[in-house]
Amino acid sequence: MAALTSEEYKVLEQSRQRLVQLTRSLGSLIASLEQGDPLPPWCAAPPEPQPSAKDPQITPQSRSSLQSQANIISNNLVSVSEHLSDHRDLLSSLVAYPGPEYPGRTQGNILEQLLRTKLDPRVEDWVARGREAGTEPSPSALDLSNATSNPTAPATPAQNLLSESELADLWEWAPLEANEEARRRNWGGNFTLEEREAGIQNVVTGLRRQLEDDDGSEEEEEGEEDEGEDEMEIVGVHRKSGGGSGLEFDIAPHHAHIAEPVVPLDEILRYMTTGRMP
Amino acid sequence: MHELLLFASVPVHQHHELLQQLAGLTAMQPRHAIERRLIFKAYRKPGLITGRVGGSQDLQQSGDLQRVNKMLNGSMFYTQVVGPVSEKELGPASTSMSTSVPAPDPDTPMAGTDESKPPAPVPNAAVPDGEASAYDYEQQPWRLEFRDIPEAATRSAITTRVMASAALPRGDIVPSMNAWGYGFVTEYLVEGDIFIHNDIVIFLHRVLHYPSSDNEPREPRRNLTALKDMEPLEKTGSYVLQASITVQDGTNQETMKTASQHLFGLREQLKSAVRLEQADRLSLDTRAK
Repeated sequence: MAALTSEEYKVLEQSRQRLVQLTRSLGSLIASLEQGDPLPPWCAAPPEPQPSAKDPQITPQSRSSLQSQANIISNNLVSVSEHLSDHRDLLSSLVAYPGPEYPGRTQGNILEQLLRTKLDPRVEDWVARGREAGTEPSPSALDLSNATSNPTAPATPAQNLLSESELADLWEWAPLEANEEARRRNWGGNFTLEEREAGIQNVVTGLRRQLEDDDGSEEEEEGEEDEGEDEMEIVGVHRKSGGGSGLEFDIAPHHAHIAEPVVPLDEILRYMTTGRMP
Repeated sequence: MHELLLFASVPVHQHHELLQQLAGLTAMQPRHAIERRLIFKAYRKPGLITGRVGGSQDLQQSGDLQRVNKMLNGSMFYTQVVGPVSEKELGPASTSMSTSVPAPDPDTPMAGTDESKPPAPVPNAAVPDGEASAYDYEQQPWRLEFRDIPEAATRSAITTRVMASAALPRGDIVPSMNAWGYGFVTEYLVEGDIFIHNDIVIFLHRVLHYPSSDNEPREPRRNLTALKDMEPLEKTGSYVLQASITVQDGTNQETMKTASQHLFGLREQLKSAVRLEQADRLSLDTRAK
């Protein structure tokens, strides 16, 4: 076989570089998944309506969001595959063999790795899975788009939509279950204990208005419309006691005043140990 | 012996609920406990060399001196003398409450799910209140409880410390303690409920003060005050939840590891109710400075 031209060398070199880039971006994604604590944000933070001085961490990290990294990887993949298909003729005709100066005795393992023609069994599995996913028509995706784009269309049994009786069952079941679940909880505020411990400013409420952590102060903003005189009598809901405006619900026994400990635990323990008053 | 501990602060409005949760978890009724705790502090005996006088000693001697000083002065600790008391010994309440005081604190009765009365330390009906309220200081049993400062730099998030307890003679304990070089500092009352969960002792308690008087006594009280008249150290009345495991051989890494795993398991089980945490090491510093 004739020696390679410099043009063909360049093609080889380019494919090497693109593969290197791909492995690098894959590596950085893996690293950020493994080491990032907390995990990198799902997508880059959108421009916030409020000044973002509250959470300065988001902005510097926005480059390494999961979506942007996935974008980079997919771009890399596209460029590798384009490159490989562009130079398919050349690359499929090339044959690799070790040069005479290669230390075949001492570096035999690497040589075998480099010269193997079949894929690694593990890799073969991946490839098979990828092929399968690529060729099989995805019915679930079809369904989904159908259902969302045309919600009034009659649901055929072939589709994964709930039948009328199932829907009725669901509606019958849900309110009871939700009510029972609600009774089990200790309603005293807008946030759960877990959320409060993690810091309420991080909670994604999906609401436009600001929810207050009404642990300490029970005051709440209230619209003007409640000033009206003709109020319906609603069972189970009454004005908040203590002069504050707002409503309270008879779901759970309400703690008239929630007294959080004033003396921190450390001070109590110190007093118990040494008798030093906090 | 070693002691592994986790603590949590329990707001007063959660106390009743937590009692029921713990009763369910441990499958036992709470055991109400009231303890007098006297705090003693080791004092420096007079005539002891307290430090280096000049700067010119040769190194060898000053090294020895420091070592001796450390031996004599370094091991000075606060230590506690604990005496269990029963509710009736605390004396009748100053008001008409004395007829029906199974538990003066509205939080403690285990109403609701269980029909049986909580096993109070004293079956109230058995003894008439009039003669029960006599507290005999001379008959008060005591227990000396030594606790070292928690071990530093433990990687696990659990407070670990060396502990030792010993029974003391009944009655006036101050002369004996003075003879051992300990002076009385202060005293308070601990009131709470004990649960046992496998090898974990769960103590939900709070510190109560005697009603403040102008002249703070320099020795343990000989008369007690009714529980109802005691003032909680934490003004809102919040409780401290303490989960502890005692390990006989603290040098055995295997048992220590098992014990911490049990505590972590309990922490996980109680996660939705309270957050058990390691205590600040310095807040449990028993060294006398």
